[in-house]
Amino acid sequence: MKQLIEMIGVTKDFLQGDNVINALKETNFSAYEGELIGIVGPSGSGKSTFLTILGGLQKPTTGKVLLNGKPFSELVIKEKSKIRLEKIGFILQASNLIPFLTIQEQMVLYNKITKSKVNQSWMNELFLKLGVDKLKNKYPNELSGGERQRSAIVKALYHQPSVIFADEPTASLDTNRAYEVVKLLAKETKEQSKATIMVTHDERMLEFCDKIYVIVDGVLSQRTSKEVLVGRA
Amino acid sequence: MFLAFKELKYSKLKFALIITVIILISYLVYFLTSLASGLASSYTNAIEKWNSDQIILTVDANDNMMMSYMDQEDFDSVETTGSKAKLGLFPAVINDPSADNILKSRINVYFLGIDNDSFIKPSELKDLTLTGNKVIVDEELKKEGYEIGDLFGVTGSTQQFEIIGFSAKTTYQTAPVIYMSLVTWQAYRYGSSNTPDLFSGIVVRGQTDRLSSDLLSYTTKDYIATLPGYTAQVLTFSVMIVFLIIITAFVLGIFIYVLTIQKTSMFGVMKAQGISNGYIGGSVIIQTFLLVAFGIIVGFALTLLTGVLLADVIPFAVNVMFYLVITAAFFLFALFGGLFSVSAVLKIDPLKAIGG
Repeated sequence: MKQLIEMIGVTKDFLQGDNVINALKETNFSAYEGELIGIVGPSGSGKSTFLTILGGLQKPTTGKVLLNGKPFSELVIKEKSKIRLEKIGFILQASNLIPFLTIQEQMVLYNKITKSKVNQSWMNELFLKLGVDKLKNKYPNELSGGERQRSAIVKALYHQPSVIFADEPTASLDTNRAYEVVKLLAKETKEQSKATIMVTHDERMLEFCDKIYVIVDGVLSQRTSKEVLVGRA
Repeated sequence: MFLAFKELKYSKLKFALIITVIILISYLVYFLTSLASGLASSYTNAIEKWNSDQIILTVDANDNMMMSYMDQEDFDSVETTGSKAKLGLFPAVINDPSADNILKSRINVYFLGIDNDSFIKPSELKDLTLTGNKVIVDEELKKEGYEIGDLFGVTGSTQQFEIIGFSAKTTYQTAPVIYMSLVTWQAYRYGSSNTPDLFSGIVVRGQTDRLSSDLLSYTTKDYIATLPGYTAQVLTFSVMIVFLIIITAFVLGIFIYVLTIQKTSMFGVMKAQGISNGYIGGSVIIQTFLLVAFGIIVGFALTLLTGVLLADVIPFAVNVMFYLVITAAFFLFALFGGLFSVSAVLKIDPLKAIGG
């Protein structure tokens, strides 16, 4: 299996007044193609620090991040943005669909920005796969929460990234819809050989994950889903 | 472009309101400009038509041509490489003797006495001869129902004048000008017996040598500035127009800024996804330009429409140069308003889009 994203010896320190806060202790992490990786942890544990460093939104204090085997965390902001745009797909809580674009136009926007051609057949295939083909001319506020997140998955997959970051993708969904969305995400991750890293509060979703990590006080450690659920009980 | 357009399409009502404000302000600005320009040219049309470089009055006249008295000796003393012409100017009130109510037919005009072969005579009417009571009048009098061959009377005299031609764009201080021979003018000005050979000023095309100490030379532009009320009026309009444009920039800037701030989280998410500041900022600027362009096109169209409808009632003049300058100013100031918002976009931290 091919390794898509890797974190080597990453730490992150913040200064808060005169104190140094170790938001992330030395962390090594890698994600391979076809893997859906769940990240859980209480708020303030370093989850978002982990995800934002992985996504190139902040620089690690030490260590580095490799994307497709190439250095990523050391690039300048502009190049990192470009790589995020092309190589990373995002599924965020609710707001990463642009309110004034129809579902189809959300995809077209990517082509407009990168001055590339619209890949209509691939788009239609994704719409069918995720069951939103009838909704493609609707605006996000005309969709239900589940439909929105399924559309967000289409958006994350459309530009064929290597890695997908899903930040609380089920936060606003009821259990059935949440299962449905995560199942689809797991399925597409496998079929399209992506690595998907999903941060979630919702431990019910972990049964679909291939690997599970827990972050507590800036320390990342791998668990099985049983351990997580028992630990909580 | 894509993003900017789609948002305009989606939030029609919101943007329609903003565009309405821009339409109203730009309409006001274009309209005031046309009005100011029309009013200013109705002050100076006749003078502009002389196509002169200098105007010479007596020093004693204190810039007032009506109070300037010159004789042949003064005229001869002016040496020029170009050409010079005598000019008599005096206000008059004319009336229509055939009107039912003569008092109601009174119109304020300026009598302009010139030599028949003078370059001051409207060039399109060169073939008409100014002599005796035969005069050329400004076409404004057509609106009062005068036609060629009609006679009009003058307050304070029993003499009647006959219209032999209409000249275009020949108003002086907003009143129609009536061209007549210098002799006829002198008879009106000083009475028909023992009429002195005096006139008001000399119009010069070309440069003059040193003048006698009794005479004072003005460039045509300087002379126009001395017309009563002219400078004050132009200044007033200019200040209003400049401020309106600046206010538009502020209003637009604030609107766009508020809209941008409302979209902070959306822009944050877009930046997290790798969409560049340049694209987002560019989209804000394009949107600003689209709003301004749309607003001022409609505002301008309304102005022209008003001009056509009210042409007879108001001094409305189309001045392409002013329109271009104002349009450029609108865009320039709108750009400042837009840049203000772009700076807000640059400050949005994509980190906030992820996690909590």
